[in-house]
Amino acid sequence: MAHWLSQPLSWTTAAVFLASAVAMLLVVLLFVTYAIYFERKVIGWIQLRRGPNRVGPYGLLQSVADVLKLLVKEDVIPDRADRTLFILAPVIAFVPAFAVLAVLPFTETLHFADLGVGLLYYVAVSGITTLGILLGGWASNNKYALLGGMRSVAQMISYEIPLVISVIGVVLLAGSLNLKEIVAAQSGGFWNWFFLKQILGFAVFVVAALAELNRTPFDLPEAESELVAGYHVEYSGFRFAFFMLAEYVYVFAMSALATVLFLGGWHPPIESLGFVPGLVWFALKFAFCVFFLFWLRATMPRVRVDQLMTFAWKVLLPLALLNLFLTALVKELVA
Amino acid sequence: MLGLAKGLGYTLRRLTEKKVTYRYPDVPVKMPDRFRGIQHFDPDKCIVCHQCERICPTQCINLTGKPHPDPTKKGKVIDTYDINFEICILCDLCTEVCPTEAIVMTNNFELAAYSRDELFKDREWLAANNTNVRSENSTNLLPGGKKS
Amino acid sequence: MAVRTEELLLNVGPQHPSTHGVFRLVVKLDGEIITDAQPVIGYLHRGTEKLAEDLTYTQIIPYTDRMDYLSAMTNNYVLCHAVETMMGIEVPERAEYLRVIVMELNRIASHLLWFGTYLLDLGAMSPFLYAMEEREKILDLFNELCGARITFNYMRVGGVKWDAPDGWIDKVRDFIPYMREQLDGYHKLVTGNEIFLRRLKGVGKYDAQTAIAYGLSGVNLRCTGVRRDVRKDEPYSIYDRFEFDVPVATEGDCYARYLLRMEEIRQSLRILEQAVAQFPKEGAVMAKVPRVIRPPAGETYVRIEAPRGELGCYIHSKGKDKPYRLKFRRPSFHNLQILPKLLIGENMANLVAILGGIDIVLGEVDC
Repeated sequence: MAHWLSQPLSWTTAAVFLASAVAMLLVVLLFVTYAIYFERKVIGWIQLRRGPNRVGPYGLLQSVADVLKLLVKEDVIPDRADRTLFILAPVIAFVPAFAVLAVLPFTETLHFADLGVGLLYYVAVSGITTLGILLGGWASNNKYALLGGMRSVAQMISYEIPLVISVIGVVLLAGSLNLKEIVAAQSGGFWNWFFLKQILGFAVFVVAALAELNRTPFDLPEAESELVAGYHVEYSGFRFAFFMLAEYVYVFAMSALATVLFLGGWHPPIESLGFVPGLVWFALKFAFCVFFLFWLRATMPRVRVDQLMTFAWKVLLPLALLNLFLTALVKELVA
Repeated sequence: MLGLAKGLGYTLRRLTEKKVTYRYPDVPVKMPDRFRGIQHFDPDKCIVCHQCERICPTQCINLTGKPHPDPTKKGKVIDTYDINFEICILCDLCTEVCPTEAIVMTNNFELAAYSRDELFKDREWLAANNTNVRSENSTNLLPGGKKS
Repeated sequence: MAVRTEELLLNVGPQHPSTHGVFRLVVKLDGEIITDAQPVIGYLHRGTEKLAEDLTYTQIIPYTDRMDYLSAMTNNYVLCHAVETMMGIEVPERAEYLRVIVMELNRIASHLLWFGTYLLDLGAMSPFLYAMEEREKILDLFNELCGARITFNYMRVGGVKWDAPDGWIDKVRDFIPYMREQLDGYHKLVTGNEIFLRRLKGVGKYDAQTAIAYGLSGVNLRCTGVRRDVRKDEPYSIYDRFEFDVPVATEGDCYARYLLRMEEIRQSLRILEQAVAQFPKEGAVMAKVPRVIRPPAGETYVRIEAPRGELGCYIHSKGKDKPYRLKFRRPSFHNLQILPKLLIGENMANLVAILGGIDIVLGEVDC
């Protein structure tokens, strides 16, 4: 990929870029389909159930059937809704989710844009999704949706700050905002991975990332027992599918980001295991992150909305700052 | 944090446990003998005493009798016997009062239908519903709890 | 400068996942703070009490199944108990033991369902399915005993309809240690969870005086430190033969109510253990009762301890085979009255925690 990126833009390179983007989209769609399937299976197993098993062998086509059903459903737009915004909102929510994937490196050679400020780009672009959610909640002209949308925005903006500050520790250690270089700085065994050196930062990152993803225990925006379905209560059919898609693409992106930043990317845990391709290591770590999300979902109750905000500002933010300070101090004294 | 970790450990342990779900539509569920399912009605046993009709808390049973076809015999025989399963609550009282066990419970419970009209069951249908008939009946409710 | 806010009128229910049935709550919100709450009930009203005036006593029993449908055994019992009291019927010992066993099993099943749905309201999914699994075991026992899983129609005036089938008592005996083990698991999964604790501690607090003034009963009363349990204070059936504690807390918040309900499961298991051990080898399960039940003219009121609180039954008889007036004192209905008071000034997110903590069953509220 690096070879293509360094060439001047021509019809060929543009075609290659387009083709690889489409390929990535397909990979992501496949991931989303089976992430949902896997989530339902894992949660089912934990709850002594079998999970989906009726559509296709082992229920493998369940998500496909679900998506198909959403696509053929009638597209309902509430009468009093703000039509333009209502239509625009799912798009605004989804596009950044896909755009952030551009900077994630999967192996040394398999990556897309190699931005110098990759991390910054990720955080900045992912913030736009919040806008889509707020618009969706507001444009639906539904009280539950509005409450859900407001909660969502409050939550995602609050948690973005500790999230960013917690990863600055990593940036300090690696000396770069480029995700490839951050991974390169973690080579040589798992004791070099940043989740150990940055244990505090990692903890803050995990919590903040969960909140960013709107997943249990921070799934307040769509708390069905309080808000029925949250911001997408009025959405149906493929518009709803877009919100869901955005959510699961973020699961993909966030898990990949956690792997890159803290779990050593494609590096094997011990040098001698280097014969296994990097992509496999990446996939393993990535799968563990995704599984962890599902596992949490099967265990945790939901945090209360006011406690959520208190937690972000009074606990996570000071911790993230402390982590940053300590990292700077250690780096200054040791190096 | 300890509580959260404990909970995570607990769910992880249950992940590998044996599953408890039934394979219901594929494999029929065996109900215990006393299960109160759809009634079976045996017209030959019925003596048209109207007790089931009277005890029914929701008045879902309708029956009519006609004079015995054999003029030498006294009494009536059953003519029509309908149970409206839209309102039947399967409370078991009709089978409890029936002196001849003409109406008994079965273990069949699949009543779902596409039309409400199908829930109106007549004498022929109830007579044909003769599988899985309950073996124990109201007999142990005799005064003093004696089993006959 | 104060920020100008606009009041938001929000209809929670009648179709809302957390109202557990058809309960409607009209709340006025200022931001996420509740300024007013108005419960609207009656969506499940079937007029049981009025219908009963046209039914014989035996016919009313299936109707009581449908009041508190999570604990139909106690409902069955209160009606039979009232009629037996009026007619002075002596219930055979074996029937009394069977009644206590099924009532305590039903109390456990009811508390289990409460536990599961409460956690579901708070956003945790797995406890619900675990609790349902244990409840399923109880329902299977009931199914084997009386042929139904929810609406048992098991008790009759003067006894019970069915004797225990062979081996049934052993199954109940085996269930007790199993349930104890699962209960420890619940505590591991839920009770220590910090998120859970922070959502419940100090939420929906009231003191003993308020509780008594509102006529609360059951756990909703005991969580304020009032030790009142009809099973202990005015023993009915054969409850005076068993040793059990009445768990009491003093905090009066949702967490205290949670702990008390979990503890009540343990106490019910204790009663079950003793009842199973003392279960008479043989005997009748039905007293000698007249074919047509005609309580003598007069009035009677009996009360028992249902899972949700004090369940009362008032019968006014004119000596006919049908009651002249029948009235149930349904604990859910009385416990619900405190809800608006608890909600005002609370955060919207506490609504489900408080509503769930009261533990209402709409079939019983609307009757």
